[in-house]
Amino acid sequence: MAGGMAAGFAGALKPASGAEAGNGSHSDLPSKFTPTAYSLPSSKYSPFTTPDYYTYADDLIIERNHPGKPYQGKVLAAIEAHSDDIPLFAGGTVAKLIDEGYTGYLIRVSNDEAAGKTLGYGVVQNEKDIQGAAKALGCKKAYSFYYRNHRMDDNAVIEIRARLIFLFRLLQVNTVFAMDPYDHYDENPDHLVVGKAVEGACWMSGGGKEYPEHYKAGLKPASVREKYYHARSPQGHNLVNRIVDINSYIDHKVRTNVANTGKGPAGTVGSRLRNELAKQGKKLPFLGDDDETANFQYVKRFLMDDFHLMGQQFGLEYAEAFRYIGPQPNYRENIRRFVDEHAVPL
Amino acid sequence: MIAAAPKIFVEKDQPGRPHQGKVFVAVHAHLDDVPYFAGGLCVKLMKEGYTGYIVRTSNDEKYGGHTIAENILSNEQEHLKMASVIGFKDVFDLYYRSRRMNEISPVEIRGRLTFILRALKADTVISFDPSATGEPDGDHEETGRAVEDACAMCGSASDFAEHLEAGFPAHPVGERYYFGARPDQRFNRVVDISRHIEKKIDAIVECKSQGGGARGSELRARLAKQGRRLPLLGSDDQTANREYVRHFLLDDYREYGKPHNLQWAERFYYVDERPPTRSKVDEYVERNSVRI
Repeated sequence: MAGGMAAGFAGALKPASGAEAGNGSHSDLPSKFTPTAYSLPSSKYSPFTTPDYYTYADDLIIERNHPGKPYQGKVLAAIEAHSDDIPLFAGGTVAKLIDEGYTGYLIRVSNDEAAGKTLGYGVVQNEKDIQGAAKALGCKKAYSFYYRNHRMDDNAVIEIRARLIFLFRLLQVNTVFAMDPYDHYDENPDHLVVGKAVEGACWMSGGGKEYPEHYKAGLKPASVREKYYHARSPQGHNLVNRIVDINSYIDHKVRTNVANTGKGPAGTVGSRLRNELAKQGKKLPFLGDDDETANFQYVKRFLMDDFHLMGQQFGLEYAEAFRYIGPQPNYRENIRRFVDEHAVPL
Repeated sequence: MIAAAPKIFVEKDQPGRPHQGKVFVAVHAHLDDVPYFAGGLCVKLMKEGYTGYIVRTSNDEKYGGHTIAENILSNEQEHLKMASVIGFKDVFDLYYRSRRMNEISPVEIRGRLTFILRALKADTVISFDPSATGEPDGDHEETGRAVEDACAMCGSASDFAEHLEAGFPAHPVGERYYFGARPDQRFNRVVDISRHIEKKIDAIVECKSQGGGARGSELRARLAKQGRRLPLLGSDDQTANREYVRHFLLDDYREYGKPHNLQWAERFYYVDERPPTRSKVDEYVERNSVRI
């Protein structure tokens, strides 16, 4: 289990008291009401960072760095609808777990055709980008299913789920990252389709009766016991019970986003801004003197700022937020233990 | 344009084991489909060297005269027995709800069949004709369509690339034997099953929940209660079931053989998509190329 420690964040994040919300804006919520969602402070530099709101569980855990390689031998699959989803919303945590021993795989479900000069250019660029993003995250391999972008509610979820079950079994996946299948107010149909397919696949890939032809062909059931579900910004939000300290991996996250040149708010935007300013006889000093530095610093300054603001809520430099679902208790063993302790002679 | 009547090819038994090393997969919707429509062919091909596998796509829940659950169980168990009689090496049951297969995702069942055909390295498939006219059973239509699509895809390395990574390479299906569920459906091949009729009957006898496999013994018991008997039903249940099938349920297969002087025959729409050993271009180059 990817562990952590209990957070004492209650003091840092107070419910709005009728005067000011968590994001600094005015609140008219009367004091007799306890907020059920918390607004997040935002840099307002990009909509593709942290959600407007989160709902926090009272047993929230902060997951910090683990020394050594405690997850050696374990496998994670980061599943995304689009090439920029995992890099933006979970890139730091994926890089962290891989650094701590996991073998990682990136699975992109769409073909990302909706981003690009033409549909064809978009598909090709994003196909290339996902390889770069996977490398920056430390993933062993990237897979693409190529379902049409923004049309995935037209696809048979059962087929997507079946393909994920096949891959989970083939790769012997223990842990997944994906868009929360219950992400509120998510505008993008692909996210919810993928989230639901992942959720079902996690449960079914361990089942002996599901797709028995896989077993006849030599595959083994996969035991997916940990799930990290992330939200989609800005409107989408979910229940959060895990905050991950990604300070040590923020540069991995930045590089992963820089690799996404065909889609999303990162890629080569920094160098393009630098060149544009240069034509006007100006420069932003932090963008440095070359394109690579400009791309990196642009992403770190403008796109990672919201993850910094969220981290600050929990006393961290940078953070990502998840609905984490961990291994289930050993119910049978618990009953057996109870029986051992309480059974009396006849 | 009016389609010309197809030339009928009569496929007879071949000596020896000319198909040694080859694999066929028979895909049907219901327990009794393959035994009736292609049971003789399956026995023949295995005798000639093929290894055979069978896939049942539905759960047959509507057939058997008992509860839905009991029907699923009885058909499942009889499917195993029927497959064993014919000689299939392994049995795959996909359990889609019978008579409701037109609601399932065609791409999902196609994906599953693609995987199975690749995993088994199928050279030949036997299934419903996806273009058969007048087919009243939606399960037959869905199964035939999925099989045809899967055959087209399993040879393409661009489809389901994850299979390739798992060690199941793209594998083209070269030959297809499509059967029809009705006598008026198209065919271009008549297969002589005269030497394999006893096995076909044995297989049908195992189809008791549907297919009439138990009708002989049921009739024998009914007559006995009336103090009568039919001599052709013999003196035990197994004989009664076999002879009932032979005399009352296989008329079509007797009729299929008659025009070709065969005692028993099955009919198929046969499609041969095996690549030629030499392409037309190769032949042209050989005939016409000159020294530079």
